[in-house]
Amino acid sequence: MALEDFRADAMRCTRCTYCRWIPFDLVKSERFAKGCPSIEAGQFHAYTAGGRLVTALSLMDGRSTVTEKVKDSVFKCTLCGQCDVSCKMCRYDMEPLAAMRELRFHLVEKGHTLPQLEPVLESLRTEFNMLQKPADERGDWAKKLKVKDLTKEKAEVVFHAGCRYSFDGDLSHVARLSVRILQEAGVDVGILGEAEHCCGGRAYGMGYKIDLMHSADHNLRTWKAAGVKTVVTPCAECFHTFKRLYAAEAGSAVEVVHMVQFVDRLVKEGKLRFTKAVPMTVTYHDPCHLGRQGEDHVPWDGVEKKIFGQAVAYDPPRPRYSGAFGVYEPPRDVLKAIPGIRLVEMERNREAAWCCGAGGGSREAYPDFSRATANERMEEAAGTGAEAIVSACPWCERNFSDAVEGGAEPMKVLDVISLVGRALGIEQEA
Amino acid sequence: MKEISRDAYRAIEDIVGPEHVTDDPALLDSYAFQWLAELVRPNLSHYMPRPWAVVMPKSTEEVAAVTKVCNKYGVKVKPISTGWYHWAAPLKDDEPTVQFDMRRMNRILEIDEKNMVAVVETGVICAQLQAEVMKRGLNINIIGAGCSTSIVASASAYFGGGPSSYFLGSNSDNLLGQEWVTPAGDVIRTGSLSSGCGWFCGEGPGPSPRAITRGSLGTRGGLGVFTKCAVKLGPWEGPPVLEPKGKPPAYRLPIPESFRVYTVGTPSFEALANIYYEIYDNAIGYIFHRQFNLAGADLAAALWLTYLDPKGTMNDVETRSKDPEVGKISDEARVSFQIILQGRSTADIELQDRILDEIIRRTGCFKVERFCEQDFAEFTNMYLQRMGHKHCNFIWVGGYMGSWMQPGTPDFVKGYVKTAIDGFERDQKSGLLVECGGDAMMGCGSTLGGGGFFALEQFVSYDPNDDDSVRACIKHMEDAIEDCKKNGIPLGKEYLYLQIGWTDERIWNDLAKMPQQFVLNFQRKIKEALDPNGLGDRNYPWIPEGWGKEKPIVTAEAGKPGKSAAAR
Ligand code: SF4
Ligand code: SF4
Repeated sequence: MALEDFRADAMRCTRCTYCRWIPFDLVKSERFAKGCPSIEAGQFHAYTAGGRLVTALSLMDGRSTVTEKVKDSVFKCTLCGQCDVSCKMCRYDMEPLAAMRELRFHLVEKGHTLPQLEPVLESLRTEFNMLQKPADERGDWAKKLKVKDLTKEKAEVVFHAGCRYSFDGDLSHVARLSVRILQEAGVDVGILGEAEHCCGGRAYGMGYKIDLMHSADHNLRTWKAAGVKTVVTPCAECFHTFKRLYAAEAGSAVEVVHMVQFVDRLVKEGKLRFTKAVPMTVTYHDPCHLGRQGEDHVPWDGVEKKIFGQAVAYDPPRPRYSGAFGVYEPPRDVLKAIPGIRLVEMERNREAAWCCGAGGGSREAYPDFSRATANERMEEAAGTGAEAIVSACPWCERNFSDAVEGGAEPMKVLDVISLVGRALGIEQEA
Repeated sequence: MKEISRDAYRAIEDIVGPEHVTDDPALLDSYAFQWLAELVRPNLSHYMPRPWAVVMPKSTEEVAAVTKVCNKYGVKVKPISTGWYHWAAPLKDDEPTVQFDMRRMNRILEIDEKNMVAVVETGVICAQLQAEVMKRGLNINIIGAGCSTSIVASASAYFGGGPSSYFLGSNSDNLLGQEWVTPAGDVIRTGSLSSGCGWFCGEGPGPSPRAITRGSLGTRGGLGVFTKCAVKLGPWEGPPVLEPKGKPPAYRLPIPESFRVYTVGTPSFEALANIYYEIYDNAIGYIFHRQFNLAGADLAAALWLTYLDPKGTMNDVETRSKDPEVGKISDEARVSFQIILQGRSTADIELQDRILDEIIRRTGCFKVERFCEQDFAEFTNMYLQRMGHKHCNFIWVGGYMGSWMQPGTPDFVKGYVKTAIDGFERDQKSGLLVECGGDAMMGCGSTLGGGGFFALEQFVSYDPNDDDSVRACIKHMEDAIEDCKKNGIPLGKEYLYLQIGWTDERIWNDLAKMPQQFVLNFQRKIKEALDPNGLGDRNYPWIPEGWGKEKPIVTAEAGKPGKSAAAR
């Protein structure tokens, strides 16, 4: 794709600004009606999906050039995709999220990059992770585990911990618990340790498509060599990257399962029984990449066609990623199955969830914006009366924990798998 | 374009802070780019004139201070709230204009439950206020353009009618106190507010310039900036929080026991007028709207049944449109409308239901079965209570232009429907507009509180990404004007839309032919008094003294009131 491929989206944008809000039917209060973190920070219309479509058009037509302000408006966005859901409430011919990504690719290609991102990209290219850690420490989280090493052995399932669960000591127990649960369930699973590379999804969001391609190339080749048919990951970002981006950009056919989906399956099949009560009121935060962006990839190579004279359809029909079929219920069902847990919902949930603020390079490039976005979510979470905000993505959890440390609502921040570990009585082991 | 001193920009920065003003070309373009622009701009451009700067004030004081700077440096002022219309942008290329983006003034200031009044700033949208007032058993009228719109804008500066106007009144009716920064930078408070008595009444004690600030059509930002207003609230017997179910896009709102949601079919527009009168005379109904025909009577059933399916695509609409069973529903729903009854008790709703059944029987109308089934009725309930799907106006291809919509009694409206349908059918034959049938006429059941007065708007869909399609839409607008003239029908919305691209002189030439010239002359005097430097734009209609009585004189000064043609 090229920016020019989104000209029609831009020309057909009506500047309705639905992309600023959650779907209106779901608005329950004045306070939590807003859906777009970007415009809350940037204020001007250019900080919305619709605004970026106009920016793209304006640049393509030579009406304007890339200034610092333009760069700020293009990159200060978490790529959370809320705008995409709201736009598609009424439109079948718009792809605002894809267009915004393409605009980033375009800017990066033309050399309009953010210096703040250079260190993480350098880390990705040399150490194969986004946390600026040495590559050879990547497998340390699993040192004490007895698990197949897929650089030496074969297995049908690879457990991909992802950069943050691998290197973030506060969170890596989730990776260990996950492996333990998979093994208990009798899954033929292995890990790649140091040979596991970053999925590349975050670099893609930052505008560096080529880095995604390098990651995909390495990971897919490594999985193939190890006989892998399924990848299981507890990270929503990796999940989305493998499921949607590897499929779309690299033709991957590997089955992708998020750890909460796997646990949900086990619980529903009666293969996993929670024996310990976890008395706690929690609220669940839908990670953008598992929720509204977690829909299945549908291959499509088609063209626009006109029906009824001028209406737009596609030949063959174009898949519609509207957020309707994201992974929303499995994490909730797992939580509800844990004795003692009371699940309360935030106003903005499922396809309307407010972003944690970590995505799209925002955590790295715009820490203040990222923190403010997390604070907003913590305020909403606290309003439910829950004592913990639970999620299924280490990036969300890290951003929320940092927000709490920085003075946001003093809530516990937990992963669904941590609670599963408690309910199974194995949390301490991890 | 005349050069504006950088001192003006710096002065504005000093008032609002540098982060709240911009003159970056790309950022300005996101304001210049407007719906309908391509229908009126040279070369079918999607851009209205680029503002000289965009400013985001946080308070009335900031609006007034920036306006004073604009007066000092000769920069026009133009506010937008949610920013959806070509006339929300600057109108002329050669007039440096500061665009006020009002989204930072976004507070609900007060909900006075007892007196059923809410006070809001310009950036508050209908969905937000509705969600809050419903918690108190109250509701607001949401305008036909939907809940993404600013209440202040619809009440102070534009139409203000919507599906619930029938019961709750239109926002122009419901406008109480207002706070207004004139183009001269003066802050005016109207009605009871001006006497320090609060926001409860638009008519004093104190001045009641409601006719000046909004008139029948509103000033559309042409006479300064409205910063706050109060609107009347109405009763709401539904749940305090709307809890829709299902998946997007067609969420479904469960129908409370004390509500009924129907789509009623009629055999003809004559019958539609008759049933309207009967319903109105019997004073039943909470929402009265002709919604789903916006997709065109030929395709409405296929479209909305597809919309109900979260996996549905436009290709499915095409398939469905060929299904004879769907064809039957289309025929049934061809001349239909939606009605929602709200009861205060079981007895009340049952009575309303019986009355409606009797009216339906007497007028030879019927309930459209498929649209009254639970899934569709719940979707209808969601759509019309919240009005959160109005972007569906653009569902076919992103371009829609509403023609016709002349308001009047049902007998008057039924009188122009045939001309509107024939004209649209004729123009669709080009293949350059969406071919959805000649009747794509949508309209709220009332543009006046209590009903009895409504309008139908023809939904003309065109592809903004296809110049030929854009030209076909412009031609349709011109055709509609001619159709009106030929048939002695007042001009409709297409005329208002096209005017945005005209010169002042052309508009004045037309205005000079209209009856009641004294109104336009009176409005000139108002503009002279409130906008001495001509900072507001021509959305506030007026006419130079003597215009049309002698040869129109075209000069650059013509845009300023006080410099009459005669004087020059
Ligand atoms: S991107 Fe979609 S929702 Fe946003 S302004 Fe454009 S059409 Fe509207
Ligand atoms: S992706 Fe999220 S932050 Fe970015 S424009 Fe869309 S809603 Fe806003």
